[in-house]
Amino acid sequence: MCRTHPAASVVPMMNSMLRRHLLSVARGLVLFGVAVAALVLSVLGIVAATLVVPYPLAARAVRGLSNLSRRLAHDWSAVAIEVPPPIDVPEPRRREDGWYVHDNQLYKHRTMPAFLLRIQALSKDQYFGREWGWMFTDIVAGGLVAALPTALVVVGALAVAGVFGFPGAVAVAVGVASILLGVAVAPLAVRLNALWTRTMLQPSDRSWWHRSGIGPWVGRRSAATWHSAGLVGLSFAAFGAALLTVAAIVVSFGGLLPLVSPLSRQLVGLYRTYARKWTDEELPTPYLPAPPPPLRGSDGSYQVGRVLYAERAAAIRAARHGGVLRDPATWRDLLWSAGAPLFAVPGLIPATLVSVGFFGLVWQALWWAPWGVPIGLFTGYWVSPFYLWQGAGLLAPNLAAVPDWVSVFIGLAVSGVGLLLAIPVLRMREWWDRLLLTPTRSARLAQRVVDLTESRAHAADAQAAELRRIERDLHDGAQARLVSVGLSLAAIEALMETDPARARALLAQARESSATALTELRSLVRGIHPPVLAERGLGEAVRAVALDTPLPVAVAVDLPGRVESPVETAAYFGVCEALANAARHADATRVDVDIRYHDGLLTVTVTDDGRGGAEPTTGSGLDGVRRRLATFDGVLDIASPPGGPTVVTMEVPCALSSPKTSTS
Amino acid sequence: MRVVLAEDLHILRDGLVILLEAHGFSIAAAVDNGPDLRRALAEHRPDVAVVDVRLPPTFTDEGLQAALRARQDIPGLPVLVLSQHVEQLYARELLADGAGAIGYLLKDRVLNAEQFIDAVRRVAAGGTAMDPEVIAKLLTAGTRNAPLARLTPREREVLELMAQGRSNAFIGQRLFLSESAVGKHTASIFAKLDLPPSDDDNRRVLAVLAYLNDSREPPPRR
Repeated sequence: MCRTHPAASVVPMMNSMLRRHLLSVARGLVLFGVAVAALVLSVLGIVAATLVVPYPLAARAVRGLSNLSRRLAHDWSAVAIEVPPPIDVPEPRRREDGWYVHDNQLYKHRTMPAFLLRIQALSKDQYFGREWGWMFTDIVAGGLVAALPTALVVVGALAVAGVFGFPGAVAVAVGVASILLGVAVAPLAVRLNALWTRTMLQPSDRSWWHRSGIGPWVGRRSAATWHSAGLVGLSFAAFGAALLTVAAIVVSFGGLLPLVSPLSRQLVGLYRTYARKWTDEELPTPYLPAPPPPLRGSDGSYQVGRVLYAERAAAIRAARHGGVLRDPATWRDLLWSAGAPLFAVPGLIPATLVSVGFFGLVWQALWWAPWGVPIGLFTGYWVSPFYLWQGAGLLAPNLAAVPDWVSVFIGLAVSGVGLLLAIPVLRMREWWDRLLLTPTRSARLAQRVVDLTESRAHAADAQAAELRRIERDLHDGAQARLVSVGLSLAAIEALMETDPARARALLAQARESSATALTELRSLVRGIHPPVLAERGLGEAVRAVALDTPLPVAVAVDLPGRVESPVETAAYFGVCEALANAARHADATRVDVDIRYHDGLLTVTVTDDGRGGAEPTTGSGLDGVRRRLATFDGVLDIASPPGGPTVVTMEVPCALSSPKTSTS
Repeated sequence: MRVVLAEDLHILRDGLVILLEAHGFSIAAAVDNGPDLRRALAEHRPDVAVVDVRLPPTFTDEGLQAALRARQDIPGLPVLVLSQHVEQLYARELLADGAGAIGYLLKDRVLNAEQFIDAVRRVAAGGTAMDPEVIAKLLTAGTRNAPLARLTPREREVLELMAQGRSNAFIGQRLFLSESAVGKHTASIFAKLDLPPSDDDNRRVLAVLAYLNDSREPPPRR
């Protein structure tokens, strides 16, 4: 045991503690500076967002400042906050002709689409929302706390200097006490600032608010609140068009209706689009297909109903007009629009309650400090944090009896009621929409007839073309070769006695011809209906074609039976086409084929890890497959973002025949 | 040598019977459907069976299934499968048991009678006879395969013939090489493909085919 003076170990410890506390005062001041910078940046950021063009710059500054704050929390208080990953801005897509494509618009230079993509990526970044919230609030929460030690030290120093006019000894005592308190609480203040930063800046799903389930609960209902308010607005636009329609009917006995109906259909269509996005409804377009153009009669005129038209354009217009008038969807739209004012009141109740309750009574009071304090300091007039509540008290004197601070809780309760009402209100609107905005049975059938007519025409065309190709291949190939074999045999017969050497040569030639004929027939048969498909069914046939593909292909099959033959063939050729594309264009290193059948739906997906960017152009192989599948109500979908992966999905409703018997 | 023959088309069956009998085979049974084939194979236990893939009553791969099942019951039963089309998939199934005595040819090959009869004899003797088209498909599909790319063109030619089931003597004759030169090539091929060297014709064919098949399997995705 070595004996040391107790002070020898206490003094350095005291020293380091003092240094830590003094350092924390300075750090608090820096953190306050960050909070001020955040407030300034939030104002500049709003201006930048309004001007749009400088917004990416502002976003970069926001991210930079937030990351600084995250780092300080980590370095000074050991509070770890996840740093957001760098924002991934995709490269604008350039076509082969040198033009850039973005959102169905062509651009000559890269700048504009690159800018739009950047804005899009920024708007999708989930961290920005929280960062903006942090910037707005830090000054009144984290910043204020961090500034407290400095404030105490400054006030203490001023007191010692005699600014407050206390008697000498008291001034020194109060001043020193204030300074000591400031230094003492400094590390705690810095840590509280870090904790606040973490609350605001960590990913939202990490927070207590989110994990407790309250966040998602409020989030869903608040979305429903604003969506139902938005739908009220959209329905009023349609209501305006409906008034115009009624006016047109009254004024012209329906004569002007064709002029008004495009507008009204467009506005109701806008409503449908957003209702589809914001609610669970599907709301397909219910209008009957446009009537076919009238045919020219033997007398050279066009007949529409009981009226004859000399000009084709007029006849088409009249036929359309009649179509609109006869379409029940026209009248259902009109009736639905009449509901707009009826549903406006309940539709706006949740939004009103939340606005008044939360933003009026709660938020307003919480936010009083950053604007109420400066106003009070400069003008000497102190606005009450509860001035909205006091305003309400002027209208209803009974309320004035309630203490002001209670209004915050009343506000919370009122907005809670608003949130609780939001989803039922949205359901009510969905019910009304479902009642009148969806297609009637007859409209559905009419649309189906149009679809079927189209796919039948395609199928018939494709079949005829296929038969022509087979006929040509047989005619020029195997048939011709058999004729040549026959000719050779006739010649051999004649030459056998006279010129055996030449007969033998012809014999070899005939054999070669017949071999070639067989090869040609084999590839022809493969193109019509691959033998392995007939012998083994879809799964094994795809395995066979996978083996012949110059890429590693993994095939997963889950088929409890045999797929109907025509569907099987179409799906098989679809897979062949997708595999050929992957091998030819995609630079892929592997392909996964997945075939499964569930609930009457055959689903085939072909995924390659190539470079993506595949475009389903008309006339391409996959377009042919798409049309072939359409004959069976099947669909083909290509998802191919630049950079891959490319996923071709085919879905065909079909039945399965006998369960499979062959082994695999 | 006794042969069981299964072919549903009358005209082809008769042609094959005439061809085989003309070359000294005796036909134990010539059937035209799957169930009869199964019975005939079990009853006669022939020296070699010549079987069409597609047979009644299902007109699917009835013949192939019957042949595979018969080889389960009688291991190493020599079977030569004929078809209008060749698939790597079927070749793989036929070779799966590793017992050899397997042939898989396009029907077109009967046009060259000597070669066809040679193939039947080879299979009956426990060797292999793979259709050049299957081998070509295996090799093209394997072009991305790095060890295969290391082979010289001449070695690829040797590999193709070897995979069909040809002996070193035949390969030498076909490629105008001495038998010892062929031996050097095969040794080099085996080294480049990391296969254990083997003297037995049949075993080395199976090794090569197994290599070509296995190297086609993509690794499972994560």
